[in-house]
Amino acid sequence: MADPWTSERQAGIAPPDLWDPLVRISHWGIAFIVVMNALFTKGGSPLHLWLGWIGMALLLLRLVWGVLGPVEARFSAFPPSPRAALSHLRGLVSGRAPQYRSHNPAGALMVYAFWVTLAVVIGTGLLRTGGQTPMQAARDAAAVASGDWSVLVTETDGGGESRFGTLPGEVHTVAANLLLILAALHVAGVAVESRAMRRNLVAPMLTGSKRRRG
Amino acid sequence: MKVPFLKPGSQRRRPVAVATFLVVQTLAAVFFVGDALGELLSDADGTHSSFEMLVAVALITGMIFGGMELRRTLERMRTQEAALAVASGALADVIRAQFANWGLTGAEQDVAFLGLKGLDVAEIAEIRGSAQGTVRAQLTKVYAKAGVSNRAQFAALFVEDLLGASLVEPVAKAG
Repeated sequence: MADPWTSERQAGIAPPDLWDPLVRISHWGIAFIVVMNALFTKGGSPLHLWLGWIGMALLLLRLVWGVLGPVEARFSAFPPSPRAALSHLRGLVSGRAPQYRSHNPAGALMVYAFWVTLAVVIGTGLLRTGGQTPMQAARDAAAVASGDWSVLVTETDGGGESRFGTLPGEVHTVAANLLLILAALHVAGVAVESRAMRRNLVAPMLTGSKRRRG
Repeated sequence: MKVPFLKPGSQRRRPVAVATFLVVQTLAAVFFVGDALGELLSDADGTHSSFEMLVAVALITGMIFGGMELRRTLERMRTQEAALAVASGALADVIRAQFANWGLTGAEQDVAFLGLKGLDVAEIAEIRGSAQGTVRAQLTKVYAKAGVSNRAQFAALFVEDLLGASLVEPVAKAG
């Protein structure tokens, strides 16, 4: 402890002690859904659809929050800039990376990559199911089970293939795997950054720092 | 300084509640609009869908208002926290000036400040990486210079400031 006086007053430029609740809820919700749907639920199953739709809602909410939200949640606080990301990574290596108000430039690129990939996964998932909500899928399944096969007629060629053929399905799978790779990179990035900055980056995404204030 | 009613934790519960509600609202909106769109595509029933449109608009408007309310709450909290930080910063300045006035050395000032914050001798020794005996001796010297005989009296000198009473009576400089 260098100086007990200044410990109370932190510089203004630093990531938040605690991300706002919406960022946290959407972050962990989407993390949970990506892991569940990529690894545990069966593609096309009702649970897979439910989780996918919830994920879509969370993504939409987060994107709206990127315009409406507080400063550090807004897109303007972390513009995508590969050049800034590179110089940040160089700074990390040399141990002179500055603090940022929101996501650091490398993290920001990760965020955008994640959102785009997530949107692709969700979009292809919707194409694959013909845009059916889980409720509609359940109703149709119930109808088929009760002997009314007419709902099957509307689907030109059933069995997970939409009018775009198998392409959406393939893109869905590839993009989902890409999501897992991005997630792994993200976790590694947080670990490296936390070490380099000597700053716990996970706490702000959970419940805030344990540091006693006031 | 532990001031329970100013703990950030209790203040943070409200935005979490608002955000949770907003998430539920969004889920409702997305599922409802998705369902309505699906029905609209399969069989276009005029009156039915115009009602659903109304509900959809209401849900989405509610979402946006919820979002704005949440942002206002967060910003208000931030302003309050900033004001609190300024206040505690101002108090720290007052304390620092008083310490200098008493002629405390640098080490004594640090120890005295940690003592004011409610840390006991063992904790101060651990933070400063010095022996407990040293810390105890430094605190004794601090109390002597401030003209008080124990920590409670020492802290009371500054509580007066917080309560808005006159500044600490200038004590004859002892060292």
